[in-house]
Amino acid sequence: MQLIINGEAKELDATTIQDVVVHFGLEGRPLVVEADGEIVAKEQWPDIEVRPLMKIELVHFVGGG
Amino acid sequence: MKKDVWHIGGHELTSRFFIGTGLFPSPYVQKEAIRESGAEVLTFAIRRINLASTEDDSILQHVEGESFQYLPNTSGASTAEEAVRIARLARASGLSDWIKVEISANERTLLPDPLETLKATEILVKEGFTVLPYTSDDPILCKRLEEAGAAAVMPGAAPIGTGLGILNPYNISLIVEEAKVPIIVDAGLGSVSDVAQAMELGVSGVLMNTPVAKAKDPVGMARAMRLAIEAGRLSYLSGRISKKRYASASSGHEQFIVK
Repeated sequence: MQLIINGEAKELDATTIQDVVVHFGLEGRPLVVEADGEIVAKEQWPDIEVRPLMKIELVHFVGGG
Repeated sequence: MKKDVWHIGGHELTSRFFIGTGLFPSPYVQKEAIRESGAEVLTFAIRRINLASTEDDSILQHVEGESFQYLPNTSGASTAEEAVRIARLARASGLSDWIKVEISANERTLLPDPLETLKATEILVKEGFTVLPYTSDDPILCKRLEEAGAAAVMPGAAPIGTGLGILNPYNISLIVEEAKVPIIVDAGLGSVSDVAQAMELGVSGVLMNTPVAKAKDPVGMARAMRLAIEAGRLSYLSGRISKKRYASASSGHEQFIVK
């Protein structure tokens, strides 16, 4: 399925948000997920289904002032 | 001497140094510099994860196991709406409900957009965040931010990363005089003399990143800045002399030997 992840179109085999996180090897890392403008709490990752062209943001803390 | 503590949003602080976590030459140097700074509050930014890189570039892995208060910023936002979105993402991390509102509308100066900053502060306060807006050094604007519910107000000394020092000490002192919440000078400081000056003006704390991270020896500079904060604070509490135009001798004139 085609998804827009961090602004880029990606083709990947995923049913849920959890699948997307696993696909990029991000399990266990501190990150926050937003899907179509809504924050998805970690507990909901396995329950929220992705749909074609869904806009998913995977963000984290980086150094800053 | 009574312990000189202060509070933000009900959180007691001993250190008056907020330190940023960008631009350090290595995670090791950063960790050592943070230790030397004595800082209890660390700032961060929120960014997209680089999916092309398998390396974990999250900042949190380098400060794990220590108890800091996290202050994520909304850098990259140019409107209140964008800042609110970034703030919500930051809070969803579960690490902190503190947020530094940082909204720049000019890429060259990175100066804060005061109207958007006020708007974002109003929204985020209503949503229950502990809001620390980074703003311009305008006394009236700082008061408006306080009235909007900011937990602390953070006027800039000079544009971010310039190291120009306090461009308008008069404004900073007016802001401090009027404030009922802590004032933290954020951005533009360069050296220990700038920091001591800020503290002598009566601000509650300073937020720095570049002057430490980009110093030749960031660990040494972190310590120097910590000492400057302590010196400036003690000077402020002790009350400096007023300035005079002409000399006044230290030993008096009454019993001169030669007269």
